[in-house]
Amino acid sequence: MPDLPELNPVVHGRLRLALLSLLSCVEEAEFTWLRGKTEATDGNLGAQLLKLEEAGYVAVKKKFVLRKPQTLYRITKTGRQALTEYVQALKKLLGPAVDS
Amino acid sequence: MQDHTTEQELKERLSLIERMITEGRRNTESWGWTFVLWGVVYYLAIAWSAWGHSVWAWPTTILIGVIVTVVVASLKAGNHPETTLGRAIGAIWIALGISMFLLFLALGLSGRLNDQHLFVAVISAILGMANGASALILRWKVQFACAVVWWVAAVAMCFGSDTQSTIVFLVAIFLCQIVFGIYGAIAEAQERKRRGSIHA
Repeated sequence: MPDLPELNPVVHGRLRLALLSLLSCVEEAEFTWLRGKTEATDGNLGAQLLKLEEAGYVAVKKKFVLRKPQTLYRITKTGRQALTEYVQALKKLLGPAVDS
Repeated sequence: MQDHTTEQELKERLSLIERMITEGRRNTESWGWTFVLWGVVYYLAIAWSAWGHSVWAWPTTILIGVIVTVVVASLKAGNHPETTLGRAIGAIWIALGISMFLLFLALGLSGRLNDQHLFVAVISAILGMANGASALILRWKVQFACAVVWWVAAVAMCFGSDTQSTIVFLVAIFLCQIVFGIYGAIAEAQERKRRGSIHA
């Protein structure tokens, strides 16, 4: 499979891809909302979000609402670009198979 | 594509992206109840201003309506993230609430709230504008029909008698707030029921 290395390995991870896709259509999302949508464990979710944060694909904001801590994530411009490029690469790799 | 398994994996990734985007965009908000609430608010304001003859009837009921809406909406919001679409629709209705509150407070205090026809025509036109803008953004024909009802009511206010204009206003509130609100709430409940959970 010579084409596979063209895919961004940070984006290619199943959970990371799901997270970037979810974050691409909301302004910002809480950790608990992401957990609910992906059904990932806290540990795995936190680890994958950290990888995305380290890659500069998501930004994190912590705040308190009614004395309860909230961790909010939003996709960055770089993250959106990486997701777009990943989708384009996927479509290119699949070629005519993309519609089947 | 040499390896069939890999091709399947790539297709699965593409499908995952589509599913997650659909899930993220899914409207989890429920706003049908606000239309019913505001229908009741308008009826209360009309009753208070008709029998109580108070200049505070409209500004007070609108302020109470705003407070109840904000409190209930914040309690219902939970951890649902805000979307650009949701913010756009919300902005229209928040601006409408502020405009109505300021206008009716100023008209009431200045003693220029005497012309019932003009007053109701302005309310109807503002509601037509908000429903129309929201319907055009959401591409929702039923809400656009509500906008048309409000615009027709606004024009009718300028030509009908006192009794006719009151009837038109009460009917418009019933159709565009109460009936539309209940319809919206049922549609939202059906959408929530139909929705299955999608996992990554």
